[in-house]
Amino acid sequence: MSKELIRLSDCVMAYDDDVVLDHIDLSIRDKEFLTLLGPSGCGKTTTLRIIGGFLTPTSGDVLFDGKRINDVPPHKRMVNTVFQRYALFPHLNVFENVAFGLRMGQTVVEQESGQEVRRKVKIPEQEIRSRVMEMLEIVNLKGFERRPITALSGGQQQRVAIARALVNRPKVLLLDEPLGALDMRLRKDMQQELKRIQQEMEITFIYVTHDQEEALAMSDTVVVMDGGRIQQVGTPEDIYNEPKNAFVADFIGESNIIDGIMRADGVVEIFNRRFQCLDKGFDKDEPVDVVIRPEDVDIVSEAEGQLKGTVTSVTFKGVHYDTIVDFYGFKWLIQTTDFCPVDSHIGIKIDPDGIHVMKKSQYSGMFGDYSSYSEEYDEINDPTLLDEEEEGADDEE
Amino acid sequence: MRRRSGIGGRLGIGLVFLFLYLPIILLIVFSFNAGDSSAVWQGFSLQWYQSLFHNRLVMESVATTLLVSLLATAISTAAGTFAAIGIYSLTRKWRDPILTVNNIPMMNADIVTGVSLCLFFVAFFNGWRGFAEWVNSVQSVVALPERLHLGMVTLVLAHVCFNIPYVILNVAPRLRQMDKNLVDAAQDLGCTWMQAFFKVILPEIKPGIVSGALIAFTMSVDDFVISYFTAGSSTQTLAMAIYGMTKKRVTPVVNAVSTLMFLAVLVILIINNIREMQQEKMAEKRASFEPVKPNPFIESVREKLATPGGKWFKRVVAAALCVVFVVSVGLLAAFTGSQPVVNVCSWGEYIDEDLITEFEEKYGIRVNYQTAESNEAMYSLIKNGGADYDVIVPSDYMISQLIEEGMLEELDYSQIPNFELIDQRFRNLPYDPENKYTVPYTWGTVGIIYNTTMVDGEIDSWSCLYDDEYAGQVLLINNSRDALGIALKYLGYSMNTTDESQIREAYQLIEDAARRGVFQGKVMDEVFQTMEGGNAAIATYYAGDYLTMLENNEDLAFVVPKEGSNWFVDAMCVLKEAPHYDNAMKWINFIASTDANLRNMDYIWYASPNREALEQYPAWYEEQYGEELDPEIYEIMAAPDEVLDRCEMYVCLPQETRTLYNDLWIRLGT
Repeated sequence: MSKELIRLSDCVMAYDDDVVLDHIDLSIRDKEFLTLLGPSGCGKTTTLRIIGGFLTPTSGDVLFDGKRINDVPPHKRMVNTVFQRYALFPHLNVFENVAFGLRMGQTVVEQESGQEVRRKVKIPEQEIRSRVMEMLEIVNLKGFERRPITALSGGQQQRVAIARALVNRPKVLLLDEPLGALDMRLRKDMQQELKRIQQEMEITFIYVTHDQEEALAMSDTVVVMDGGRIQQVGTPEDIYNEPKNAFVADFIGESNIIDGIMRADGVVEIFNRRFQCLDKGFDKDEPVDVVIRPEDVDIVSEAEGQLKGTVTSVTFKGVHYDTIVDFYGFKWLIQTTDFCPVDSHIGIKIDPDGIHVMKKSQYSGMFGDYSSYSEEYDEINDPTLLDEEEEGADDEE
Repeated sequence: MRRRSGIGGRLGIGLVFLFLYLPIILLIVFSFNAGDSSAVWQGFSLQWYQSLFHNRLVMESVATTLLVSLLATAISTAAGTFAAIGIYSLTRKWRDPILTVNNIPMMNADIVTGVSLCLFFVAFFNGWRGFAEWVNSVQSVVALPERLHLGMVTLVLAHVCFNIPYVILNVAPRLRQMDKNLVDAAQDLGCTWMQAFFKVILPEIKPGIVSGALIAFTMSVDDFVISYFTAGSSTQTLAMAIYGMTKKRVTPVVNAVSTLMFLAVLVILIINNIREMQQEKMAEKRASFEPVKPNPFIESVREKLATPGGKWFKRVVAAALCVVFVVSVGLLAAFTGSQPVVNVCSWGEYIDEDLITEFEEKYGIRVNYQTAESNEAMYSLIKNGGADYDVIVPSDYMISQLIEEGMLEELDYSQIPNFELIDQRFRNLPYDPENKYTVPYTWGTVGIIYNTTMVDGEIDSWSCLYDDEYAGQVLLINNSRDALGIALKYLGYSMNTTDESQIREAYQLIEDAARRGVFQGKVMDEVFQTMEGGNAAIATYYAGDYLTMLENNEDLAFVVPKEGSNWFVDAMCVLKEAPHYDNAMKWINFIASTDANLRNMDYIWYASPNREALEQYPAWYEEQYGEELDPEIYEIMAAPDEVLDRCEMYVCLPQETRTLYNDLWIRLGT
């Protein structure tokens, strides 16, 4: 476990009566890949901009290496940012874009009669040249130095943006939806590349995205946010397997979320049937939310099943079928390799480790029902919709 | 069919362009005309360009225009750019209404902007006066000037004011296109906000700033109306100077100035287009990865800037520009500030300009020589407090009005010994019975100008203006006082009658003739071209102007009809509270001298009131030009007593009569 680098302590960000961040506490360790994940308007970009110094929190502290940096302007922070849509300088070529930060000089901390003095020192042209070329090599853009920015593809621009930030050797790199504008293939490649760069250069990445797959694939730590609050912090596995509430369960992967009652440690009642589970520590007869992942459900014959239902729709997904099954008026999503035709009556079995019990929260009853399955699915995956919302949010700032 | 319609379309386009450019081509052609006619080609010559460059009024106004435009462009470009950036950092809720508000001044009529700015400045000056008096009364360390006047400063402020919206309009779209994160990115990479502004925002919005500045500059050079109301009496832009020159007629000098202005704008446009085309080419080449061939000059400058000494080179250039700027402003201030001055307002083409230079050399007093466009315009300018003239040269009826309203200062005749040379006939005239306020400048008569080839025999009566004999060949003078006055005279009444029935009878005479189609049109200065070109047979105008027409068309004749006519005097007066009273006396005395009168008489063809000059002119003319002055011409210029005896001078009419004149004139229509 490496040491803590950044701490947000009780941070609030509010515009008039509009609270964007609601008492956030967050600790970020050195050299970790941390992802802020959430739907648009959840406060993730705001959190990033507070760390970058572009916003000052209404209340609360931002600590860097244990020092309060609330009032330190962006150009004096040891942090660099890769912006949404890159924000490259169109009037400069690739080399000059990357060299921009270096040409502004380097901050040197010196001890002078016991006092710490920060001073900007000019970097010699020779060093600028070698550092830029080295960086361009890392991002696979060697030979592109003289090209104008406007002549690059989206992926190439993305690499320039990363090189431009990293060449300054920041302690922390902030990335604001950096892959949002790329197509699926390129996205996958860049994910791996970013992870490689992060490990090679051994610096902290704070990454903002609304794409849960991206978050799970790249991160050491995932911070799930909604409504200006942190919902859960954990490793990708923790977040997926043990979501804290219905929101997290729904946002990360697919989940069936059903009302249940905890009858005893290890026993939960759903639809008046008792199921074995691994969760303990609830009050007796406490109402709870029960999460069952679609892939944890086994389809058996009607007679063998713990629950019985009717198939209402089947979609072929390649590896498996998305099968929607109606149990007593509640629709479940089940992912299975077995094909069950529509209107067939089936039974299901769930192993104890396939059941996850959560405390009731403000999100209870809002997610996990697949009655309107297709619409919900589309909404989450429509990038244009998200983009527009994001822009609206930007303008409000 | 298609082909035919294509030809028709091309013909249409051709006609449209012909219509657009023919006037300009005509202007350019006539700027090279050897004679001074605007209708008859008299051979190629560069004389008008020559006289243009010797015309100090024009050259000074060019300098003023350039200085004002450059200053206003620089200030408004800087202010507009920062304003646009400020507007763009607002939320959308505020941004859009503010941009709309920004558009309103551009749509606003210039005349409204001009008048309101003039009012604003005058109101401010009044407030300032109170403040300065108070400051000066409570302490004596600093003496604040109590009276401020419209001038260079207000002119520049006005130009800045109307230019800023154009700059914002040009810069705003560039900012809208710019990624908002660019500034954040620059700050993220170590820039302060100011560094980010210079390194990122400025290069991004530069094309907008450049086009904004170009538009601001052309608007500034172009502006007449707003300048007219805010320049006051000591400053004059080129547009104002040209307008003053056209008061009488479009002289070929105006053609020459206009041609140069047109060419200058053309050159700016071409440079701008070439710049844009090159930028497009660069962008294309960049997109196709071809190496862009660098401009060797720009490259060499760039190299110099890149070398370690480059920073010094940059600083030296910047410093040199600053010095030039400060020195030019300083010189101008020194020029206008410390030197003794006299402010003169007269008419266009109404003085031999060498006299101004001569006066300046002789007395070391700088002459701000301005021109007004009419008695009425000058009157309203003075009345509004927008002018600080010392000497004005109004016509007789206007002088009596000014005296009545107490706007003139009595003259100190002990400082004007040359007044003794003014002929007795021109002293103690009705407009200034005791001769306390005026020294006559010129005098003349109104009469009939006719084309002898188009008229049978000699004309000696106003009747030809109202007869069917020359129907469609008569030009009616477009000025209610003259037109009705002549009709009154023809009917045997006084030109100054206040009897409504007589005035209505005179009006009826004109209206009947108009209905029968006697008049070709109502004209003022167009009379020159129409008569010179032989396009009308009969017109009413001033004797001095007839002589100018005669130079271009020998068939023209002039007569003061037997019924009598109007004779007029323009005289020099000094305004109340004139800031340079003593200098004004020197100027008046200088202009009243025999030599000055001779030269003015020769230059403007209007008769002098100076006894000696009148007597000596025929001899002086012979000496100058080596030929005898035609006595007939001399008689037309300086009408003999028997002609003057049957003429009448205008007096200022009472308000109700003036209203009646106006109403009748409006009813006559066009």
